[in-house]
Amino acid sequence: MVLKKKITILIAEDDEDDKYLILKAFARTLPQNNVICVEDGEVLIQYLNRVTPYDEDEKYPVPDIILLDLNMPRKDGKAALAEIKSHDVLKKIPVIIFTTSTSKEDIDASYSLGSNSFITKPSSFEGLLKITEEIENYWARTVVLPS
Amino acid sequence: MLLEMSKKFPINGKVFMPSILSPSIRRVKIYAIFSLILILAGSATSYWVADRIGFYTSEIMKAEEVMQLTDALYLTILERESNIRAYIITGDRKFLENYENSIIEGEQVHRSLQNITSKNEIQQNYLRDLESIIRVRAEVFEKTKSYYMENKSLVGFLTDQRVNSAIDNYQNIKRIIMSINEEESRTFAEKNSGLLNNIRALPFTVSLISLLSIAMGLLTLFSVLHYNKNQKNAILQTQAYQDSLQEKLNLLDESNKELEQFAYVASHDLQEPLRKITSFSDLLIYQYRKELKGDGEMYLDRIISSSNRMKRLIIDLLEYSRAGRENDNSMEELELNIVIDQVIESLEILIVEKNAKLTVSDLPIVKGSNTELEQVFQNLISNAIKFSKPNKPSEIQIDSIAANKEIIKQFPHLEQDQAYHLIRISDNGIGFSEEYAQRIFTIFQRLHGKHEYEGTGIGLAITKRIIEKYKGVIFAQSKPYIGSTFNIIIPKIN
Repeated sequence: MVLKKKITILIAEDDEDDKYLILKAFARTLPQNNVICVEDGEVLIQYLNRVTPYDEDEKYPVPDIILLDLNMPRKDGKAALAEIKSHDVLKKIPVIIFTTSTSKEDIDASYSLGSNSFITKPSSFEGLLKITEEIENYWARTVVLPS
Repeated sequence: MLLEMSKKFPINGKVFMPSILSPSIRRVKIYAIFSLILILAGSATSYWVADRIGFYTSEIMKAEEVMQLTDALYLTILERESNIRAYIITGDRKFLENYENSIIEGEQVHRSLQNITSKNEIQQNYLRDLESIIRVRAEVFEKTKSYYMENKSLVGFLTDQRVNSAIDNYQNIKRIIMSINEEESRTFAEKNSGLLNNIRALPFTVSLISLLSIAMGLLTLFSVLHYNKNQKNAILQTQAYQDSLQEKLNLLDESNKELEQFAYVASHDLQEPLRKITSFSDLLIYQYRKELKGDGEMYLDRIISSSNRMKRLIIDLLEYSRAGRENDNSMEELELNIVIDQVIESLEILIVEKNAKLTVSDLPIVKGSNTELEQVFQNLISNAIKFSKPNKPSEIQIDSIAANKEIIKQFPHLEQDQAYHLIRISDNGIGFSEEYAQRIFTIFQRLHGKHEYEGTGIGLAITKRIIEKYKGVIFAQSKPYIGSTFNIIIPKIN
């Protein structure tokens, strides 16, 4: 019997409204503690490097996947992505770019820097529900994650 | 501001250049021609002078010769006299021989004189007079000779009468000879008086012509230098104009880039809150459907639908501002048949759904960007399918002919010397009234309500913008309930 562990998702999103919506969408299937949100790329890197106060494993667990917005203040998505994918340990974590941008340049750049997927934010809540369901389905059940 | 600037410095237009060059070069030509004329006049004058001098010299030599001949004649007459006397005094026959010889010589000289002065009647008269006197003297000499030969002395022969007549004749001869010389001098002076005046005036004339020639030459030189200077100025000015034009073009380019950036950012930032509106409206319905009583859900649906429409408008507006802005690097020669095949493929679902039938004839190769030409035909074909009659499947024909002169003349802003294709997209759809034929190409103009046919009304505006960028024209003809034809006039590739 395979124990279906609920995955932990780390989201980097600066916009309050988008944060609310995405947490709401994931809340349908994931417990609150499994979805953590940070406000920009800088904090994201600190979190992943276990910098205080992010060294408490209980409160701030290492995520199974990362959802990364591109347009953020201080350190933006592309810079954070580059850093994560060049870190020996951190580069194993799948990174999904989750952004409003539809430009070809952004898509190409993200995949070039090593992102695992690129998803455009939908404009309806229904759409958002579908996406969160698919993310969970794919990354928690379909694929096998690294340890 | 952009429109003003692009009117003042049209990309394909010519920059106006004042005509500084023409008067200068004309002046150079005039001075050069005058110089040439003066040089020719100078040469002609010199030639005439040389000719006259030659003539004058030969006239002088002729007069001199006459004088020499008259002297020679006089000498022969004297010789005759002295030889006869010497013979009479010495009796030596040698003197008689000399006497005979001097007669012959005298006759020769006399003949020469007659020849030289043959044209002068007065001289001829003098010479005839001289001849008769000489003959008289010759007769006397003969008589004296024969008397002496008979009597061995001249006693009884030399009468006073004879001596006097000899003296008279002698003086006459002298007088006539002097008259001949005087007459020769007089005719010479008469003939050449005019010439003498001219020749005296000659140095003055030649100097004048030379000075004028030199002056003209200098003027020509200066005007050439002036022309050169003007040329240099003209080149500098052209360079300045070109630099100024380039600067303006750079500014225009920059301004356009800024505008595009502005449009992109504006539309992007406008879409953000719109997305929030639709998302939260949607969330409201999702979470509180049960609590929404009455028309609550309907209100929220309208909010969502309006927001979506606004989003499409923003996207279309952005697309319109980008239309026809592909840079020249992406312009290539494309086979329209291939472009249309690509469009038909991308519209496959719609074509199958509406059971539309497309007939495409041989289409020409045109110059444009693949993306933009696809946009054009996608708009036109999807419109044709969209506005089909409800019960009749859409039938669309696309063909191409050469645009004739009458059609091209109807659009005076087209280059009249260029050859054009006329591409027609005809359908059997619902058509429209011809009074709207222009309006449909205006941005966001629609002929139907939002609920009858979807769309923002920007497709044709974008199409028109692209075609006009390609220096072509698009216009529509239609009959309500029968169908429409969209005509594209596009330049032929040379």
